[in-house]
Amino acid sequence: MAEMWISMGPQHPMTHGLWTLKVKVDGETVVDTEPDLGYIHRGVEKICESRDFTQITTYCDRLCYASANTWSHAYIYAAEDLLEVEVPERAEYIRLVAIELQRVASHLMWLGAYGPDIGNLSVMVWCLREREMMMDLLQELGGSRMHYNFPRIGGVKRDLPYGFAQRARAKLKLFLNRIQEYEALFDESTVFLVRSQGVGYAKPEEMVNHGVTGPNLRAGGVNYDIRWAHPYSVYSELDWAPPVERSSIKGADCYDRYRVRVEEMRVSASLVLQALDKMPGGADTYHEPEDPMILAKAPSRAPEGTTGAHHFEDSRGESMFYIAGGGEGRGKQPYRVSIRSPMFITIPYAAKCMIGYKVADIPAIMGSFDPCIGETDR
Amino acid sequence: MGMTVSPDSQKAAAEALVAAASGIDGVDAEVAERSSGTNPRYVVVANASPGSWRTLAEKLYSEHAVDHCSMVTGIHWPEGDAERKWEVVYHLMRTGVRDPPNENGIVRPVIVNPSKARGASMPLELEIHVHLPDSTTPSVDSVQDIWVGADWNEKETWDLVGIDFDGHQGMRRVLQPHETPKGYHPLQKQHHLRYHGFVEMYDDAQGFMRKPADVGKIK
Amino acid sequence: MTSSDWLDVAGWSESFSNWSMDNVHDVLPSGDIDMQVTIPSTWAWPEPITMGPIFNMQSGFASIQPALESFMHATIMCTVVFGMMMTTMLAIPYIERKFIGRLMDRLGATTTLRSLWVGESGVTAGEWWNQLPFGMGAPIGWVVNALNSTWGNSHELETVARVNNRSYHGYWFLLPGFFQAFADFMKFATKEHIVPKNADKVVFEVAPVIILATTIMVFAFVPFGPHIYAANPELSLLFMMAIFGIAPLGVFFAGWASNNKYTLIGGMRSAAQLTAYEIPLLITVLGVAVLSGSFNIIEIVDFQMGQDEGNVWNIFLMPLGALLFLVTMIAEVERIPFDMPEAEAELVEGWWTEYGGIRWGLMFAAEYMRSYAACILFALFFLGGWEAPFQHTLSNLPAVGGIFSTVFSVIPGLIWVLLKAWLLFAVFVWIRASLHRVRTDQILEFGWRYLLPLSMLNLVIATILRLQFWTGGPWDLWVPAAVTLVSGGLFVILAIDEDEEALEIQRRPYSTQAVVKASPGSHRK
Repeated sequence: MAEMWISMGPQHPMTHGLWTLKVKVDGETVVDTEPDLGYIHRGVEKICESRDFTQITTYCDRLCYASANTWSHAYIYAAEDLLEVEVPERAEYIRLVAIELQRVASHLMWLGAYGPDIGNLSVMVWCLREREMMMDLLQELGGSRMHYNFPRIGGVKRDLPYGFAQRARAKLKLFLNRIQEYEALFDESTVFLVRSQGVGYAKPEEMVNHGVTGPNLRAGGVNYDIRWAHPYSVYSELDWAPPVERSSIKGADCYDRYRVRVEEMRVSASLVLQALDKMPGGADTYHEPEDPMILAKAPSRAPEGTTGAHHFEDSRGESMFYIAGGGEGRGKQPYRVSIRSPMFITIPYAAKCMIGYKVADIPAIMGSFDPCIGETDR
Repeated sequence: MGMTVSPDSQKAAAEALVAAASGIDGVDAEVAERSSGTNPRYVVVANASPGSWRTLAEKLYSEHAVDHCSMVTGIHWPEGDAERKWEVVYHLMRTGVRDPPNENGIVRPVIVNPSKARGASMPLELEIHVHLPDSTTPSVDSVQDIWVGADWNEKETWDLVGIDFDGHQGMRRVLQPHETPKGYHPLQKQHHLRYHGFVEMYDDAQGFMRKPADVGKIK
Repeated sequence: MTSSDWLDVAGWSESFSNWSMDNVHDVLPSGDIDMQVTIPSTWAWPEPITMGPIFNMQSGFASIQPALESFMHATIMCTVVFGMMMTTMLAIPYIERKFIGRLMDRLGATTTLRSLWVGESGVTAGEWWNQLPFGMGAPIGWVVNALNSTWGNSHELETVARVNNRSYHGYWFLLPGFFQAFADFMKFATKEHIVPKNADKVVFEVAPVIILATTIMVFAFVPFGPHIYAANPELSLLFMMAIFGIAPLGVFFAGWASNNKYTLIGGMRSAAQLTAYEIPLLITVLGVAVLSGSFNIIEIVDFQMGQDEGNVWNIFLMPLGALLFLVTMIAEVERIPFDMPEAEAELVEGWWTEYGGIRWGLMFAAEYMRSYAACILFALFFLGGWEAPFQHTLSNLPAVGGIFSTVFSVIPGLIWVLLKAWLLFAVFVWIRASLHRVRTDQILEFGWRYLLPLSMLNLVIATILRLQFWTGGPWDLWVPAAVTLVSGGLFVILAIDEDEEALEIQRRPYSTQAVVKASPGSHRK
C-alpha cells in the first residue's frame, strides 16, 4: 500500500490535549511524523506583561491544569529571585507538601490516561479514584480542586488546615497500598509488557541534547533531577533520591518511563510524609494568613534592569521562568515573562521517537511521555 | 539529609567556566548569586556580542560540556539604546548526563552522588544575553545544530517576537496558526493587548446590547 | 438416544402447523370442479377442443401441503428462536454493564440512587430534610440514618471512605440499569443517517446488512434447548461456522467504503485478525466434532449428556480445546484484548467510525450477538449444553435421586444453556476489564504461531481420545480425570514465571527488541 499521511487530531481520543500529529504511514509502519501545536495558545506571556506580580500566579496555575501547583510555584521562585525575597522555612515546607502532592496527582492522571491508551479501561477509574484523595487534600490547602493560586511571593497563602496532617497521612498510607494494585495490573500483565517494551527507545545523551528532562530522562538510566542539581525549597533537608530505571541497551522504552513515574509517586508520597514530620513549628499548629512564619513581606516593584530566573522540576521535566523587570507602573508589572515548557520540547522529540514503529504504538509512546498541551501552548 | 549539590562547589565550577569564557573576544562573563527561596545558587551570566555568540556556543558545547539548551527568550526593547533594541537570552545548562554503561548486555544505571559531583559532571546554569542593534529584521546565529533543544525554542522566538535565526532549518510558525500574516509577531511592544483602552462594541458584558454608535457594524 | 425435555417447542410448532394445514385441507371442497371449456367444432377445426383444468382443490392442496407445513413450521420456529435470542440477549449488555461497573468501581445507577441517602462518605450535604417547614423532615432523617447504618459506607476517616467504596451494595441493586438497553436502542433509532461525501454508497449500505444478516443467521443453527432450534441439518456445525466467517467480509467493506483512512486501517486490521483466528477456531471446532463424533450440534450435546455414549462434558476431555475456543472466539468477536480494529485510542472507533444512527446501533448489537453466539456455542460444545451439572450422577443417587430427577425434568434445558452462556459472558467481561489491548502484529503473530499449532495438537489429542480411549460407551472415569489434571498442571507450571534465571534467558515470543526484559514480578526486586 502506498504511503499516506494520517492526521491524528486535533480531535482525537489519544492525544491528551489539543494538538495534531500528522503521521506518514506505510501500511502499519510509521515513516515520518510532524507535530502541530498551538491550538490553545492563549498568549500567557503577553498577558503577564500587563499584570502585577501577584496577579500572574493565577495564570501560571492554568498553564498545565493537571499539575497546577508545580507551575505556580515555578513562577513564584522566579519572582522571588527577581524581587530578592527571603522565604520563611515553614512556608518552604508547606510549598513542598503542595508540590509533591500535586506531582502525585499529576502522575495519577497520567496513569489513568495511559491505561486506556494501551487498552485497559479499569485502571483509569482506579487512578482517578485515588486522585480524588489527592484532590481533596489539595482542596483543603488551596481552596479549589484544580487551580489553587496557592503560593504568594514570600510564602504561601495560608497554613495547613486543622487536621490536615492526620488526613494526609491516612490517605497517603491508603494510596501506597493501592499503588501495588496498579502495578499488579500492569507489571504482571504479559500483554502490557509486550505492548510497552521495545517500543519508543530514547537514549539519555540524545534526550538531553534534544532538551528532554525529568522522568523521561530518568527512565534512561541517569538520575538527573533539578531538585538535587540546583536545589530549591527544602529538598536538601529531606531524605530522598529520584527514581531511576535500568533501561535496555537501546535506551529507555515505554515500560521504563512508566516504571519511573510509578516509583516517583512513591518518592513524592514519602517526601510529603517527611515534610509533615519535620515542619518547623509542627504540622498541627496553625498560623493565620500573613503571619511572618508563613509569609514574608515582599516588594511589589522590580526596577528596570533586574532579572529573575529559576529552573524547576515539574511533573513532566524541567520548567523555567525568566522574568525581566521594569515594566508598566514603574516596575509593578514585569517587562517580559518567558516560560519554558518541558512538553513543548519533548513532544517533537517524542514524535521523532515514533518513527519506525507501528501505528498502534503511537498512543503507547505518546502517552508514556506524558504530554500536557496546556503548558505546551501556553 | 538529602544529597544535593552544595552551593560552594557550584560556585567554584561557575567561576572556572567564567574564567574560560571571558577569554573569548566580545564575551563578558561573571558569576551571579541568585536565590532559590532559602538557598543561594550561583549562575554564570554572560553578555555576548552577536558576532561572538556562535564561537561561544561551540566552545561551551565542546569544551565545557554544556549539553542542554533550556530556553531561548526574545525581548523587544523599543526604548533601549540603539545597540540594544533586541535581546536574546539563552538559558543553557550543564547536566552532566552520560549514557549509562553497558556491561555484558546489561545496562548499569548512572547514579550521580550530588555531593561528589566534580568537573564536567557538576551541574551548572548559564544565562547568556545577546543584544542586537535596531533593525526591522533582527537576527542572530542559530545554534540548532549544536543543541537540538534550541530548535523549537528558536521557532517560538521567531514566531512570537520576530527575531530570526541564521542557519535555522525549517523555520515556521509553531504557536500561532500557519496562516498568520508575515511580519506579525505579537510579543513586540507595539502590539497592545485588548485590555488597554479597548472600546467594546457592546453595552453589556454578555454582548446582547450594542452601543448606539455601533449598530449595524459587524463584530 | 437423543435428549429431550418437556419444552418441545419444535414439536409443538410442527404439530400446530400440521393441524392447521389439516384443517385447511378439510375445509376445502372435496369435489372436482370442472372448469373445462369446450370449443365446439368449427369449419376450421372439425373436432371439438377441450381446454382447461379439472380442479380438485383438496387434492391440489394435499400435494403442496407438506411444503406449506414445513414452511409454516420453519417460520414459526425462526420467529420463536429470533425472539428468544433477542430477549435473552438483553441480559448480555446488562451483565457487561453491571459487572464492569463493579470491576471498575464506577458508581453506576444504583449507587447514585443510594447516594440520595448515603450522600458522600456517609455525610449528606447539609441534612436537607431539616430545611422543610414544620419539622416535616424529621421522619426522612430517621429513614436516612437507618439506611445509612445498614447499607452505608463506613471508614474511620470520612474522606477516605469516599474512595473506599467497595462494599457490597445489596441484592436489590440489580434492577436499575435494566432499561438502559432500550433507551440506547431508541437513541440509535432516532439519530441522523450520514453518509460521507465520497463514500462508495452501495458498499457503504451493503456492509451493515452483510454483518447483521450473517450474524443473525448463525442463530438459526444454534439450538437453545433440545427442541428449540430454527434448523437442524445434519451438518449444522459446518453451516454455522461457514456463516460465522462471512462477517469479516462485511467489516472490511465497511472500513473501505467509508472513504476514511482510519476506517481503512481498521478494516484491514480487522480482516487480517479475523482471518488469522478463523483457522484455529475451525480446527478447534473440528476437534470437538471429532471427539463427539458428529457435525450436528444437537448430537454433540447428546454425546456429552448421554448415559450410554459419553456422559462427560467435553471441557474435561479437551481443556486445551476449550481454552483455544475461548481465546479464538474473543478474537473473533473483537473484544479486548483483541479489539485493535476498533481501538479508540488510535482509530477513534475504527472501521465503524462513519456509521451513525441505527446502522451503528445494529452493528453494535451484532457484535454483542456474536459474543452471545460464542458463549452459547461454548456452552453447547464444552459445557454439556442443556444438561445440569452432575445431572446423571445426581439422578442416580440411592435415596434422593428421585427428587433430583424430578427437579431436572421440570427445569427445561433452555435454562441451563442460558445460565452457562451468561456465566461465560461474565468471564468475557472479566477479561475485558483486566487486560490490555494487544497490538495488531502481535495478535497476528500469536494467532499464526501459537494458536494454530496448539489447535492442531488439540485435534490430535481429540483423535487419539476418540479412537483409542473411547470404548463406545461412557468414558472411563480415569480418562477425563487424567486429561484434566495433566492439562491443569501444565497450565499452572507454564503460567508461573517466578524463576529469575529462567526469565532472563527466556526468549520473549513477540516482536520486541528489548534485551533486558521485565517480567511479571520483576519489579519486586
